[in-house]
Amino acid sequence: MKFIKPKDIENLYDTLDTTEQQYLLAGGTDINVQINNGIIRDPNIIYISHLKELSGIEETNNEILIGSTTSFKDVIESRIIKKYFLLMYNSLQNFASPLIQTSATIGGNIANGSPTADVIPILLALNAKLLICSKSNKREVPLKDFFTGYKKNVMKNNELITKIIINKNAEQKYQTYYQKVGSRNSLAIAKVAVAGIKKVVKEKIIDIKLAVGSLNEYPRRLFKVEEYVTGKRLTEIDFEKVEELLNSEITPISDFRSDKEYRYHVCVNLIRTFLNE
Amino acid sequence: MKCVKKFDAIPKLDGSWKFIDDYSYDDMLHGQLLYSTCHHGYIKKINFPANYNLSEFTMVSPKDITGDNIVPEPVCDQPFMVDKEVMHFGQVIMGIAHPNRKLLLKFIKETKIEYEELPAITDIKECLDNEENHFGKETIIDHRTKKEPKGEWIHHHNVYYTPHQEQAYLEPQGVISVYDPKANSMFVLISAQCPFFVKSGVEAIMGDAVSEVIIESPEGIGGAFGGKEDFPSLFAGISSLLSYKSGKPVKMILERVDDIQITTKRHPARVELDTWTDPITKKIKRCRIDYRIDAGAYQTLSPVVLARGVLHSISGYSVLDTFIRGRLFKSNTPSNGAFRGFGVPQALAAMEAHIDRIAADLNINPYEFRKINLFRIGDEFPTTQKIVEEHLSDCLERVIQKSDYHKKVIEFAEWNKTHKDKKGIGIAIGYHGGGYTGNGEKVLDSEVKVIIDKEAQVKIFVANTDMGQGAHTTLAQMFFEAIEHPREKCWVQLPNTSKTPNSGPTVASRTIYIIGNLLRKFAFQIKDELKFKNLEEYVKTHQNEFPKEFHKKFVPDKSVIFDEDTNVGIAYKDYSWAACVTEILFRADTYKIDLKKNWNVMDVGKVVNEKIAMGQAEGGITQGLAYGLSEFFYKPGFGRANGFTGYTLPTSLDLPEMNIEFIHTDSEIAKGLGEIPMDFPAPSVRNAFHNATGVFVDEYPMIPERLFKALEENK
Repeated sequence: MKFIKPKDIENLYDTLDTTEQQYLLAGGTDINVQINNGIIRDPNIIYISHLKELSGIEETNNEILIGSTTSFKDVIESRIIKKYFLLMYNSLQNFASPLIQTSATIGGNIANGSPTADVIPILLALNAKLLICSKSNKREVPLKDFFTGYKKNVMKNNELITKIIINKNAEQKYQTYYQKVGSRNSLAIAKVAVAGIKKVVKEKIIDIKLAVGSLNEYPRRLFKVEEYVTGKRLTEIDFEKVEELLNSEITPISDFRSDKEYRYHVCVNLIRTFLNE
Repeated sequence: MKCVKKFDAIPKLDGSWKFIDDYSYDDMLHGQLLYSTCHHGYIKKINFPANYNLSEFTMVSPKDITGDNIVPEPVCDQPFMVDKEVMHFGQVIMGIAHPNRKLLLKFIKETKIEYEELPAITDIKECLDNEENHFGKETIIDHRTKKEPKGEWIHHHNVYYTPHQEQAYLEPQGVISVYDPKANSMFVLISAQCPFFVKSGVEAIMGDAVSEVIIESPEGIGGAFGGKEDFPSLFAGISSLLSYKSGKPVKMILERVDDIQITTKRHPARVELDTWTDPITKKIKRCRIDYRIDAGAYQTLSPVVLARGVLHSISGYSVLDTFIRGRLFKSNTPSNGAFRGFGVPQALAAMEAHIDRIAADLNINPYEFRKINLFRIGDEFPTTQKIVEEHLSDCLERVIQKSDYHKKVIEFAEWNKTHKDKKGIGIAIGYHGGGYTGNGEKVLDSEVKVIIDKEAQVKIFVANTDMGQGAHTTLAQMFFEAIEHPREKCWVQLPNTSKTPNSGPTVASRTIYIIGNLLRKFAFQIKDELKFKNLEEYVKTHQNEFPKEFHKKFVPDKSVIFDEDTNVGIAYKDYSWAACVTEILFRADTYKIDLKKNWNVMDVGKVVNEKIAMGQAEGGITQGLAYGLSEFFYKPGFGRANGFTGYTLPTSLDLPEMNIEFIHTDSEIAKGLGEIPMDFPAPSVRNAFHNATGVFVDEYPMIPERLFKALEENK
């Protein structure tokens, strides 16, 4: 194992350019476990938590920028987050334990790419973008396009997520919804997670964003369901059709934690409840 | 009911007290177990990884055993290490030690064992459903009458399953063995409940190779719950053998994953109930119970668990015509062992659910049905032991009143008509016999010792350990309160088998009940003997008599006679009684039970230290509720849990608002308290779920996945 602590952000980009098979270490709440369990063997570890440019929450005219190494504790305690994104503020209250809240980072939760990552469905519902940087390039990638497979994403080896960008009005005038179903009420890995925002005018859904976790190889938006219900009154929604579409958009599995039938039905129930609310 | 503060609270908080892993010796090695990952088979070859200097390691296998390769237990059938045939996953193959713990763990992880595999039973139902798959001896209670069931009686037949439960003590199993070649002695410091059991274990494996074995408790023991009753004997045997072979102290602390996977658990059970109830009088007239538990690969202490389970399996009901059959079943999984409740939670899981089921069929309220069938003074247990008090009924009446049960039954039914989520309320009762079963306490022949020194300091010597439950505070309190001696002048000493008489193991809710009450009597006896009013003044004026040592043995009540072959007689002299009511909210979208409120009324006799007693009760009730609701260790097709991410202990956010009351506290006797809180809460959740949804679930835990299936099947 090689451990590298870049002296500044420039040095970080240089290191990223020249190091192979590197793992970025921020809070370490996932990576350290994976190293201990032998899932990651002999890694090149680049430590980034000390780089101030990567952390903190800023407000611009239209957007909120969350530095990728901002801890969950800082996210929950941020007045900006509470002001603009109550969905995120409320949903993350019972995220992990106080210890993990303090060290785990929002960028780490995304980059680790776990199908069960708590923050990703919320950010997907808020239509977040990621600012991805390397020494020579900067690009914005919508979070919905970030993942390409189980723990796979569009980043190159020399890139890192520096910011999570959310439009200030992302949830304004929207009804929001979040349900994380775990095997206990805290310190649990989600069996099913559903996050959504919808704008209803005169009983008609005019815009909706729905995202689910723990039901696919990575957390996803449910575009087909969204498209079907958009423009419809609640009474016009055929829930058999919703189930049919959902069936094509989620691929729940059975594991030690839960069963695929259960995951599927809970997802159906939660989405139905959100649509009916 | 004084709340004397736990004397260990501050040193544990400030970190000054040592737990086993805080102790260290010069030149100490770290030991670990190399265990089987095959469930049944023969070892063909052990391949150690390359790139290690094997001469740096100390390894012990059965050929190094200087004594016997059999752990002393109620049934002596379990080897310390695999002899010829691997009988279960997690069976110890070798002990290995090295100066560097990290390197040792890596070495063991990289060691590959080749097996010739044989057919194995690893599934709970595969083990318990197969009639033929049991160990020989059965435990039978035959209280049959010759009457045939009447045609109008309503027959109910159901099978109830309960899973493993992990003790989940905070501190994993840990031991340090120190061999002294000069004295030819073995000193063992161990996080364990029963120092004298460990002594027998180490003596068995060492044989004549050592002339003395001394077992001592560390200052702190981080929980046990039964999990440190029998496994430590095996564990300390292997660390001692490693120390003997290497000539160095050997510390062995299990990693959590190993601790969860290979140490003893609560026995999974299958309880089949047949009852016949008179529809007019609503009395249960006849009962047949088939109580089966999965012992694992070896019997070890399972017969004792079986006996206790069978003895409690009728719950609190008087049924004149009863036949109970108990059997131990075999599987290729680690031997199951002691866990708070010791067979009783499994028994009550079945009977307390069955009662609600009959009540539902007879269209009678579950409380009324219990009240009609509850045993009364003059009734008898299936063992023929007479019922001499109606404190169980008192617990039930009180908890019904406190919880406003009747009003809520109506309110919830009304609320449920207009809500997708459902509210439910459930009752359960339970009891637990204190101390060893039957003649056990006679056999134990417990003894305690007290030394009073020249400063009037009272030192109490008992073999019972304080594993966080507050036993040493309460034991001392029972002594110093009796003679009105200052608290700071009365201490229980850390158990050490060379200084402490054998007052028996720290199990079976016996520590306060047997040893505490004994110490209280002993205090009065010493006061009478020395004829003092104030011990401090007496010692001041009689300096030449001190230090003085006093011994006292427990004298069992002669009227307590129990025939262990026929299970007739008095199984336990004193019983603790309890009843509870639990309110739930069942979430329709997620099929999840939220525990809302939980009332418990218990009679544990005299409450010595109310805060400690409350702590015991809250902890036990929490374990009990989670047993019914969320904890599972094994899932068919997906194997065994390997940590607390998979093994879902509840957090404080999962617990209900809990209300606990002790009644009949004016008793002279402090009865058993350790286990009863674990026994009875789970069935109340199951019954509340039935109240909420009209659906019965025959298996624990009531995880949402199981409830989802049950509701789908009932559609």
